Amino acid sequence: MNKRGVARLIALLLAFAMIAAACGGGSSEEGSDTTTDAGGSEETTTTEGNTEVTEAVVDETVDKYGGTLTMALEAEATGLRPWEDTCSAPCYNMAISVFDKLFEQDVDGLYQPYLADSVSSNEDFTSWVITLRPDVVFHNGEPLTAQTIVDMWAIQQTGATSAGVLGSAKVENVEATGDLEVTYTLGQPHSAFPSFLSRAPIGMVFEPGAAAADPDGFSTAPVGTGPFVIQSRDLDNETVMVRNENYWGVDPEGNQLPYLDELIFRPIPDEGTRLDALVSGTVNGMHTLRQGTIRDARDADGIARLEFQGNNVGGGMFNVALAPYDDVRVRKGLVMMNAQDQVIAALGGEGISDPGTQWFSPDSPWYSQKVADAWPKFDFEGGKALLQEYVDDPARSDGKAAGEQIDVELSCPPDPTLIAAMQVIEQAWTASGLVNVNLTNFDQQTHINNALGAPPDFIGTHGAHCWRFSSDSDPSVDLNPALAPYSPAVAEAAGLDGIVSPLNFANWFDPEAFGAAVAAIRTDDFNERFALYESIMLRIAEEVPIWYSGHTATMIATADNVNGFNGWHLPSGDLGIGFPAAEGRYHEVWIGE
Amino acid sequence: MSIAESAAETTKASPIGKAVTAVGSKPKRKSPLEVFKEMPLLIKLSSAWLLFMVGGALYAKLDSALGGSLPLQDPFLQTNGFNPATGEFGTGEPIEPSSAAHWFGTDSIARDSFARIIHGSWVSLTVATVSVTFGIVIGGFLGSLVGFVRGRTETVIMALIDVILAFPALVLLLAMVSIFAVRNLYIISLVIGFLSIPPYTRVARANSLAISNREFVLAAKAIGTKPSKILFREIIPNILPTLLSFALVGAATVIVVEGTLSFLGLSVQLPTPSWGNMLNESRRDIKQTIMPVVWPSLFLTLTVLSLNQVGDWFQKRGAVRGSAL
Repeated sequence: MNKRGVARLIALLLAFAMIAAACGGGSSEEGSDTTTDAGGSEETTTTEGNTEVTEAVVDETVDKYGGTLTMALEAEATGLRPWEDTCSAPCYNMAISVFDKLFEQDVDGLYQPYLADSVSSNEDFTSWVITLRPDVVFHNGEPLTAQTIVDMWAIQQTGATSAGVLGSAKVENVEATGDLEVTYTLGQPHSAFPSFLSRAPIGMVFEPGAAAADPDGFSTAPVGTGPFVIQSRDLDNETVMVRNENYWGVDPEGNQLPYLDELIFRPIPDEGTRLDALVSGTVNGMHTLRQGTIRDARDADGIARLEFQGNNVGGGMFNVALAPYDDVRVRKGLVMMNAQDQVIAALGGEGISDPGTQWFSPDSPWYSQKVADAWPKFDFEGGKALLQEYVDDPARSDGKAAGEQIDVELSCPPDPTLIAAMQVIEQAWTASGLVNVNLTNFDQQTHINNALGAPPDFIGTHGAHCWRFSSDSDPSVDLNPALAPYSPAVAEAAGLDGIVSPLNFANWFDPEAFGAAVAAIRTDDFNERFALYESIMLRIAEEVPIWYSGHTATMIATADNVNGFNGWHLPSGDLGIGFPAAEGRYHEVWIGE
Repeated sequence: MSIAESAAETTKASPIGKAVTAVGSKPKRKSPLEVFKEMPLLIKLSSAWLLFMVGGALYAKLDSALGGSLPLQDPFLQTNGFNPATGEFGTGEPIEPSSAAHWFGTDSIARDSFARIIHGSWVSLTVATVSVTFGIVIGGFLGSLVGFVRGRTETVIMALIDVILAFPALVLLLAMVSIFAVRNLYIISLVIGFLSIPPYTRVARANSLAISNREFVLAAKAIGTKPSKILFREIIPNILPTLLSFALVGAATVIVVEGTLSFLGLSVQLPTPSWGNMLNESRRDIKQTIMPVVWPSLFLTLTVLSLNQVGDWFQKRGAVRGSAL
């Protein structure tokens, strides 16, 4: 083997090791295969748990600078104001290129400083001192200081999305306690407070002067400290960004980031068209949150796939405040008659999505096998027996006479995959002869509003309702609002006056589960928190206010010469979380030959 | 019978190029078979397709009424689903290709696509029939009335019709459909029927305006015939053939509208099959196999094409007759 061949082999081994590490550490159970093409680049497929990565691995010595990445997104971002605009996956891909966050998650899901340099808290987690990175400037030349964060807070307090997050985190004050030192004061202890500073509403750092001067214009001309600067934004067509020459970030070798000259985002809502655009070379990157598209992408040639299966899990919830769902026999009976594998297959997730049993995927550090074992399994006769017990009960909660069928409304948005899944569920429930199922479809917004309901009680009008749960954030972010009292009356009865959460969509209030959720944000001991979250999941498995289908698989796919989505780094040098929920980070992306 | 009535009855049945039937004699009506023989080949094929579609729809309805005892598979049965009777899951496969067991293959949840298409034709037929009837009866009457009486009645009614026409039809349709929490076939048909009223009103009015100035109508007025009698015995019978031929084209539009609503998930409730919801459900598998999209599309296209062809042919035939008036 000549010198060049040896260098290539070493580079390949190094790159392979990095990718394996990015997947969360190697294990003997991991599978991998590598194919080498005539051009000398290698395609590596690694599999660990539910994350599959197929990415070209190229000689690390090549020049990474230059080039244009054109990403096809599933939708246009409604706006790029972190404090105002609801930011889902497409928006997040764009926003994360313009703004940096105070904290980011590492490959293990733990929160590390990003635009922050360090963080500390007092003993009861009510006061958080954050030191910012020095010498960071915004795209308009303004420096990042502690006062910037204080000025941001003034805007965030009235922001459509940030005000709610500030309320959830109980942020009472933000104060500049030094040039680069900010102190957040909370109204209640929260051991995972940095998790709030790792998402768009209060975590993305924007230039408050520009935001205050033109709040509406900021949506199309945002100013952040991120690796790319907006050059043009043609809504529903194309957003062009160019590299930020003054970006503070460097790669582990000390090279200035970002590598790309230009980053273009194009919304292509149709799933098939978006994938075709990638395969045909119209774009060189795309993302999806649909299993069906992942399945199709697996059959496509010439593209690299980066699949991610996080904590987010599909399924549905019962409106526990309404009959007949207020009776655990009905809830559990219906869930036991739900053939989960069939539902996942109908969703197009067979061989892609893991069946859900809790709010954490098997890869998550919070995953509990005990909970997985406790979750009700498919048992048609067992479920039917529970429903029969309810049907024959003269005191049944729905007020019907004993022996009459149970009326259930099963509602999902009119997406083809959900329509297929709901018909699978309907057939199983109807087959019992005990349930009269009414299938309804409403557009996404109506579907959410039906579950949200109106103040002051927020009970909603839903029955059995398709829904998604959890995320890769700290468990408290999703669980605490979902478990808190859903109405003032419930809060008062539980002695929790003033603690009301409209986000408890299932209207299931369990003092034991909510108590555990509150206890979990008063400690930062992982084992203690794990036990508390496990106890919550066990209560859910026992009371069954919700049901699960499969964990949500997402994917970023690129032309096979695009690198760096997987294995990007935090300022500490540790690997970042990757590409959860099809949200990429672009500062270390580069185009090979 | 008045002179005017006799004249009207005589002239309305007079085809061009043929001798006008003598006053007082009964015009010779052609049998459906004779009409069929007159048709060009394309129109014959179109008519045959429509007969097949209607036959299939009635067969599906009969099958449902008899509890699925006719030789047609259960359109709701998921062949890979759990069977409580056996305690086992079925062995069917989703998006299976065409086979002897499943002529049009299976859909994404392993249901027989042929059975679903045949049952879906009942939805299209019902919507087309109910909506068109609704449109003809109300729209036809209103148009005939305003074309005959004119004045303020015409101004008010046509203003209302113009308002409905001015509103984007699909938006209005979506708004009306979304009002109903439970959407059954007849509610959908009536909503579409409501939106069919304006075109029928306009067609009927245009014809009514022309007919109201014909000699036999003027003669009827001159001898003091009641306006209501003139409307129902002179005007409407002469407008009806035009409306019926227009109805065939209108039915094609209505079927497409129902398909659009189904595709958007706003038509009949699941799991009732319709061509539109079959298209919606199968589009996500289009990269795996195109056939689940092709079959309902083919039925929809052929039905709409046939209705348009037959409707156009009858309209031309009616126009020829009209010119002989």
